[in-house]
Amino acid sequence: MLYEIKLHSNIKYIKVSPAFESTRTGAQGPMLLECKNINYQYPGSDTQVFRDLNGRVADPGFHALFGPSGVGKTTLARMICGEIKHFSGQLITAGLERILYTYNLERLPGWSSVGEHLQLNTPTSSRHRMDELVASFGLQGCMDSRFAQLSLGQQNRTNLARYLLQDFDLLVMDESLANVDEGTKEKIILKIKQMFPDRAFLYISHNVVEVAKFCKQVFVLRNFHKFPQAIVLEGRNYTGGPGVDKKKLEHTMLEIVNAL
Amino acid sequence: MLYRRLYQFFMIYFLGLASLMAIKYGLQLSDYVIPGPPEIASTGLRVSGRYLLNVLNTLAVAILGHILAIVLATGIGIIGRLTAWIGSFIRVAAYNIQAYPIVAVAPIIFILLGDGLSSRLLIAAMICYFPLLLSFVGIFSEPVPEIEHFFESTRRMTWRLQIKIRAFENIHKLITVVVGSATLAMVGTIVAEFIAANAGIGYSIRIALYQSDLAKILVALFLIGICTSLYLVLLEWIGYRIRRRWAIPEGGLK
Amino acid sequence: MKTRALKKRVDLYLAVVVFFFFTADAFAGGLAAQEVTYRLKWLFNISVVGDLWADVNGNFARRGLKVTVKPGGPERDAIKELELGRSQFGVASADQVIRAVSKGAHVVVLAQLFQVNPLQWIYRPARTPIKTPQDLKGKTIGITYGGNDEAIMRALLAKYHIRENEVRLYSVRYDYTPFYQGKVDLWPLYRNAQAPIIGEKLRKAGERFDFLNPSQLGIQFVANSVVTSQKMLAQHPQIVQRFMEALLEGWRAALNPANRQKAIAIVLKFNRETPAEIIRRQLPVTRSLMLPTADFQFGKIDVEAWKQTEQIMLAQKLISKPVHVENLLKPVAQ
Repeated sequence: MLYEIKLHSNIKYIKVSPAFESTRTGAQGPMLLECKNINYQYPGSDTQVFRDLNGRVADPGFHALFGPSGVGKTTLARMICGEIKHFSGQLITAGLERILYTYNLERLPGWSSVGEHLQLNTPTSSRHRMDELVASFGLQGCMDSRFAQLSLGQQNRTNLARYLLQDFDLLVMDESLANVDEGTKEKIILKIKQMFPDRAFLYISHNVVEVAKFCKQVFVLRNFHKFPQAIVLEGRNYTGGPGVDKKKLEHTMLEIVNAL
Repeated sequence: MLYRRLYQFFMIYFLGLASLMAIKYGLQLSDYVIPGPPEIASTGLRVSGRYLLNVLNTLAVAILGHILAIVLATGIGIIGRLTAWIGSFIRVAAYNIQAYPIVAVAPIIFILLGDGLSSRLLIAAMICYFPLLLSFVGIFSEPVPEIEHFFESTRRMTWRLQIKIRAFENIHKLITVVVGSATLAMVGTIVAEFIAANAGIGYSIRIALYQSDLAKILVALFLIGICTSLYLVLLEWIGYRIRRRWAIPEGGLK
Repeated sequence: MKTRALKKRVDLYLAVVVFFFFTADAFAGGLAAQEVTYRLKWLFNISVVGDLWADVNGNFARRGLKVTVKPGGPERDAIKELELGRSQFGVASADQVIRAVSKGAHVVVLAQLFQVNPLQWIYRPARTPIKTPQDLKGKTIGITYGGNDEAIMRALLAKYHIRENEVRLYSVRYDYTPFYQGKVDLWPLYRNAQAPIIGEKLRKAGERFDFLNPSQLGIQFVANSVVTSQKMLAQHPQIVQRFMEALLEGWRAALNPANRQKAIAIVLKFNRETPAEIIRRQLPVTRSLMLPTADFQFGKIDVEAWKQTEQIMLAQKLISKPVHVENLLKPVAQ
């Protein structure tokens, strides 16, 4: 079933730019992330990544960006956070003034311990969350260690924790829990949902089960030759408590897989 | 580290000496062309005290020149990372200037600065400066996105932090380049002394060459080798301490 | 019958081979030219004009020699090349010869090119009046440590009982600035090659100059001489003889005032850096240092000067024991 998020009435519409000129527009109001007719190809390459890409996700919550490898998920993520600027079409980021992007290969500087790094780089406004986050991410034992001394899973969690402690409206998590075991991953996602109900997340993953289970809206990015290139589906948005309805979950998973 | 370096040097030196002796006795050459072991030994006993002081004098200038080159290369390396254009300009300029033989440039330096310490220092610094600069510009201009990304996106990045990240990530390379360039500093100082200075082992070698006294030169090479090895060991030890202190805190490992 | 004829023929062949084997040296001129290498002491300049003359004007070729004349330089040592077999003849200074012999080299001296050592000291009489050697006291004297000029100056000071602490010795290199600036009173130079250049500059600056010539003060320290190895002399006396005849002939012609223009042209051909005007001034000075009198026999070996050179080196501990250099002087072509 195709699902589109309805636009909130007080969103300011932005004038659509001429073709092949990008517009990245932020506006006050409820959260909205919308792609309109985005076209993009890598500089110096003939390979087109996006052709008239359209789609939107709105409202706070744990959303997903899903798609096969090489389809352009990371490229879109970098467009969203402003690292890629030269594309044609329109990218609306209403209510998302502070967008952060994190990926699983990031490292902390090696000259200080994890604890020192978090202390130094956590804004005062988020200090009160630090202990809770460290504890729920299972990182208490890592605070005196150097980043390089941690396991890959601990490294992923540490990196994600430091981003969560920043001021942001939208956090794009590019395979941020790639090396974390399923149980811990579930705990972490549920904790994020619980701790940050008013923030938006765009979770990039290849795991159809976790995307279907935990995410509110799933932005499915398809291969370049398919039209439309993106389809937005509704996930099960599991927030804990009683187990998720297996049938519905399977249905959602099927929808996602079929959308590809 | 010290013993290994020294015995490696002894091996190389005595292998070289043995080859010379093989040529001497194989071709039945006189002591004028290649001195025999007794002459080398007696020359060593006679001049090694004086030559050791000369080598230490040279080493002191080489160390100063080396420090000067490191400071300069760090400064220019930091400037070079500002834009790709500046970085590439500095690299091209460094390659070009490096291509000039120091023996051609040195006379100009000596005319301008005289034959005192400043000329020796400048030439020593010049010889080891460019390899350092090229490495430093390369290292400081090369982003480490997986670390820098967080600081960039949270707007915490400063130029100092950027340099710190890039230096830390390339600390092995930096130490290798610094240690490698130490030999060049020593060579530079000796060349400077050879060309025009009035002190140091390079000057003594020149006098020995005037007198066709290969025994003196072999003694000088021996002392230069030992002192350079000691300096390299010292630098490696400093590099090891930096790595230990910076990368892994003492007793703080878990 | 046949066998006898064959034997006779073989004998004849053998006789011819043996004959050519023993007379190859003598026939060299008429058959293939004998190839030898001649290593000079310095780069091609006025001090090698006669060597170049002999080469260019066919003096060597007329004696059946094909000589490769190679320039010298600070890193070149003709005596070492003789020993290594890379050269058969060379030019070396007397101190080089004596030092080499003291270390077991087997070298002989065939001719002495300079009768007066060209290594002298330039000074400005207006600011540094030197009338007697005692006037050197208190002066700043340039010397090249380790060089001939050091040995000569020390010998001069010793001869006139001037202690080293009564003068200031200044280490010199190629840069004359300290002399121009007046930091150094006496500066060592080659009287024939460098003095015309430096003198020209001083003349332009309106300064008078003079030279301190150690040989006039009794210090005979022999300069460039033609050398070969004892082995060469013993095994190929004919080649040595022919080489020296050709070389001395070339030198005599080059220094002949009648051949002045031709000699200058030859130096210019090999050395384009020095202006013709300078070479024109260098030539007569070179002549006066090599032929002190009009009837002087070019290349004559001054045995007493060699002995004195050895004495100076002994006194200054530049050699550890006497080498009796007079035994090595073999003026084969005179």
